[in-house]
Amino acid sequence: MWKKSNNFSRINSIFNRFWEIAGAVRIQTKILGLALGLVILVGFGNTLQTRSVLSKNMEAQLREQSISVARDLAARSADPILLNNLLELQDILLETKSNNDNFQYAFILDQNRQVLAHTFGEGFPVGLLDLNIPTDLAYNQTVLIETNMGYIYDTAVPILNGKAGIARIGLSNEIVQKAVSQVTLQSISFTLLGVLFGVAVAFFLTRILARPILELVEATRSVSRGDFSKRIHPWAKDELGTLAQAFNKMSEDLAQVHDLRQEREGLQRQLLEKVISTQEEERRRIARELHDSTSQSLTSLLVGLRMLEANSTDTDRKQASDLRNIAAQTLDEVHALAMQLRPRSLDDLGLSAALERLVFDWQSRNKVPVDLAITLGGLRLSEGVETALYRIIQETLTNVVRHAQAHSVSILVERRNDIIIAVIEDDGKGFEVSTTKGELHLGLLGMRERAELLGGRLTIESNAGRGTSVFVEIPIREEENSIGEEKTRSVSG
Amino acid sequence: MAKKRFFLLFLFLLILFTSGCSPRQSQQVAGYIDLENLQPLEPIKQEVTPLRVAVASVVSPQGTVQSYEPLLKYLETKFNRPVELIQRRTYLETNELIADGKVDLAFVCTSAYIEGINNSEMELLVAPQVNGETVYYSLLIVPADSSAQSMADLQHKVFAFTDPISLSGRMYPTYLVQGLGFSPENFFSKTFFTYNHDEAIRAVANKLADGAAVDSLVYEYAIARDPSLAKKVRVIHRSPPFGIPPVVVSLKLDPNLKQELQKVLLSMHDSAEGRIALKSIGVDKFVILDDHAYDDIRVLLSDVEKIK
Repeated sequence: MWKKSNNFSRINSIFNRFWEIAGAVRIQTKILGLALGLVILVGFGNTLQTRSVLSKNMEAQLREQSISVARDLAARSADPILLNNLLELQDILLETKSNNDNFQYAFILDQNRQVLAHTFGEGFPVGLLDLNIPTDLAYNQTVLIETNMGYIYDTAVPILNGKAGIARIGLSNEIVQKAVSQVTLQSISFTLLGVLFGVAVAFFLTRILARPILELVEATRSVSRGDFSKRIHPWAKDELGTLAQAFNKMSEDLAQVHDLRQEREGLQRQLLEKVISTQEEERRRIARELHDSTSQSLTSLLVGLRMLEANSTDTDRKQASDLRNIAAQTLDEVHALAMQLRPRSLDDLGLSAALERLVFDWQSRNKVPVDLAITLGGLRLSEGVETALYRIIQETLTNVVRHAQAHSVSILVERRNDIIIAVIEDDGKGFEVSTTKGELHLGLLGMRERAELLGGRLTIESNAGRGTSVFVEIPIREEENSIGEEKTRSVSG
Repeated sequence: MAKKRFFLLFLFLLILFTSGCSPRQSQQVAGYIDLENLQPLEPIKQEVTPLRVAVASVVSPQGTVQSYEPLLKYLETKFNRPVELIQRRTYLETNELIADGKVDLAFVCTSAYIEGINNSEMELLVAPQVNGETVYYSLLIVPADSSAQSMADLQHKVFAFTDPISLSGRMYPTYLVQGLGFSPENFFSKTFFTYNHDEAIRAVANKLADGAAVDSLVYEYAIARDPSLAKKVRVIHRSPPFGIPPVVVSLKLDPNLKQELQKVLLSMHDSAEGRIALKSIGVDKFVILDDHAYDDIRVLLSDVEKIK
């Protein structure tokens, strides 16, 4: 019982392996394999069966023939044997030989088992006499003998119940063999024809079956690329047809969802743009206000205080001087604040100048050397791009101060064809990008958002102890360039 | 589940394939023979020389085997040695065998006996007695629906002779034709030999011949065996009585054996087995018969010979 189940599991495992191979091949191959396999199985099974049946029938027929020929021979031999007419016996044997295609030999024995006549010519085959001796002289007896000339049906017919002798005849089954091999050949040819036909049918079937599947695969790929426009023509009203319909429905649904999401994303982006631009506008206004009105007032205050200082007594002069210093410091602070909110140079002189100023201020404030390299070809970029790059670099520098403990920073801003690239690197302690939280995380998110709003991309590479690199890529469009140039001109003019 | 079904299909096909096995395996081969390995046949030596008994072809060879079998068996037990039956197609062949001493005992036909005596080839041993007589007749037979009443009516017809030297089958009808002033060659349109009386009766019954002359003993025996023959054949003439076909021995036979044979044959009817054997050949018993019983026939034969 255990052994049996073990055998079964072995067969099962062989089958699993078979399925591993057979299951992995293409549908085309599967169908072809199935068709060919079936044709070959049925064809060869049929061949074997036909062979078997034909051979059995023909062997039986041959057996019957050998009996009937031997009986005839026995009947005709009786008188010549009894009359000792050996010449006639020989004649009868030769006649029997010429009348039977599959005749191999014949001979006549007298009642003492002595050979009276035979067809072997000189001599007699050793051992043949004893191979077929009827056990009952009332009946004939047939045996199958293997010889160097092939298989032979040997029939012995007692003549007058053995009183006159025995007639023996051997019929070769060569004819049977020939017929069987001919039929086999025919059958195999038919099978091969069937194989050809099977290949053709399988090819056709494959086209019918695999084509919609391949189409489905192709359509699925388009969907995953984001192209929902592809529709499948349902070839037939079968399962594949249903699948095609379902797929088409799904594509439609996905397209709708996709459109909806895009619309929403568009709105979100617009909103964000609005927020950012409003913020920038607000900053610009406040900075201008601070610069134009607050700074003017403070300057007037300074001038007034200086005059007061010059015209006052020593004790008052000291107080006036202190107040003037406070006012001057406040003016500086207001300047710095305005600068931080939105440097005027960004609007008036462009990104390069603004960045140089930013870096200069940052260096002097933080005592960390910054290597700044800007190659923009002296062209102005669109306001959006300039603002975004400025803010990203500003934010990055702020992060460096807050978190990096860097010893040096390098900033590269470069235009390559239609892309502006900015790389900000520091040699600080770095951080794990994927695990950032809180303020830093929000800051990074804002930077990325700014880049993406302009169709660009922002990547941060950082590892603990290996510093941080921020890569920014922002595409610039032709019209932006020209706008930039116009702007430059208007500023210079 | 699908895999399991696959598996079952596979098994089924496997069985289908293996079921078509070779027919050669289903039959037993009796042995292997090299048909080109030929050797001369050695004659089988018989330890005891058999008693050779010849029977003239009065009836067909196969009929002879059947009817004489009990007699041969009887002799076998009496002499405690195998008995071999020897048959030849013609009476003359049998006579030669007797002359050469290749046959010990022979059942010959009357004319063959007379020929044998003339040539000093044999001697009379005993004669069978049938229905209390040691004579027989030649019967002229025609198909039952034939209009022929005598030999004269058979002119220009087909006639079947038995053996060339048969008294009842050839000599007597020839004698009748000569009596009409013809020879068989110009009296009949066609003649042929059947070599035994059975076949002659059959030839007439089947109308292959319009007439034939046969041994009355054989005719009666044949009618007794197959009564339907009586409806197909009609006897139109009966010859005078002839001396019955005798049992002879070769002159070369050992005189002791000859005496022994005579003794055994003459006493056959005394035992049950003997009577069965006698009945099988249609004989009451064997009796001593003098050669003079055949003198009439010698006259008839010489007449026939003279005209020829």
